[in-house]
Amino acid sequence: MNTALPFTFCAGALCLAACTTSSAPPPPPQIAEVQKPSHPAEAPKPSQPAEAPHSTAKPKTEAAPPKPAPAAAAAKPAPTPAPSKAAVTPPRAPSQAAPAPAPVPAAAPAKAPLDLKSLEQRLKDTDAIGVLTKLSLKNQVDDLIARFRAYHQGVQPPTLPQLRPNFELLVMKVLSLLQDKDPGLARDISASREAIWGVLADKSKLAQYT
Amino acid sequence: MNRALIIVAFACFAASAIAADDPKQRQDLQAVIALQGKPCGEVVSYQSQGDNDFVATCKDGNRYRVYVKEGRVVVEKK
Repeated sequence: MNTALPFTFCAGALCLAACTTSSAPPPPPQIAEVQKPSHPAEAPKPSQPAEAPHSTAKPKTEAAPPKPAPAAAAAKPAPTPAPSKAAVTPPRAPSQAAPAPAPVPAAAPAKAPLDLKSLEQRLKDTDAIGVLTKLSLKNQVDDLIARFRAYHQGVQPPTLPQLRPNFELLVMKVLSLLQDKDPGLARDISASREAIWGVLADKSKLAQYT
Repeated sequence: MNRALIIVAFACFAASAIAADDPKQRQDLQAVIALQGKPCGEVVSYQSQGDNDFVATCKDGNRYRVYVKEGRVVVEKK
């Protein structure tokens, strides 16, 4: 077994929090842009555009609506000269709908990428765990990985569901050792928990780390 | 001359056997014992018996020898 594997496995979790936060911001702008183009397309017909804005406005908050509303109102009157009453009503609708575009709620946090090498190195370098403790953890990780290998080779006594508690317990041990003195690493490992499990449970992925 | 050598040798031996008090080492031993699932609570003192070979005394009175053998950390109750 590689010496790196144990730490990579334990580590499995890192730098994800930062990734999730960075990914969150982008989504909102995209949604807002998509909504804006849709309004112009609907603009030709006064009655339809007015309804569309209402539906979008309700779910969102009041923030940057003013800008989109004026543009929509100006565009509508010009194309349709005859329906003067209809043109008057549309402006109100846009104003109400305006709030919608601005408050786009943050999208669901994207899955952070798994960087086992980085986690392993951080575990090796951290001062939160003593040398003997690191070696002991490595021993336990090696033992668990050996059990996963046995499972992948067809030895069924330890099934995947049976291995899960062992994996969780080991992760908890690592987290309990890190959470006070190296919370950042603990957070990253915790965030990578499922990704690490995915590697262990997949024969081909596990083979890549050996 | 011989007497001096004996005293020096004894002093060296005593220094290594006397309970050390490095908080980090104590916590390390405590964590290792806990990882092995042994009852201890807190390591109040330890003695170094060599390279990576310690005898830890726990608050509950248990004593464990913690050492490294063939790349594995072994915890033995004494």
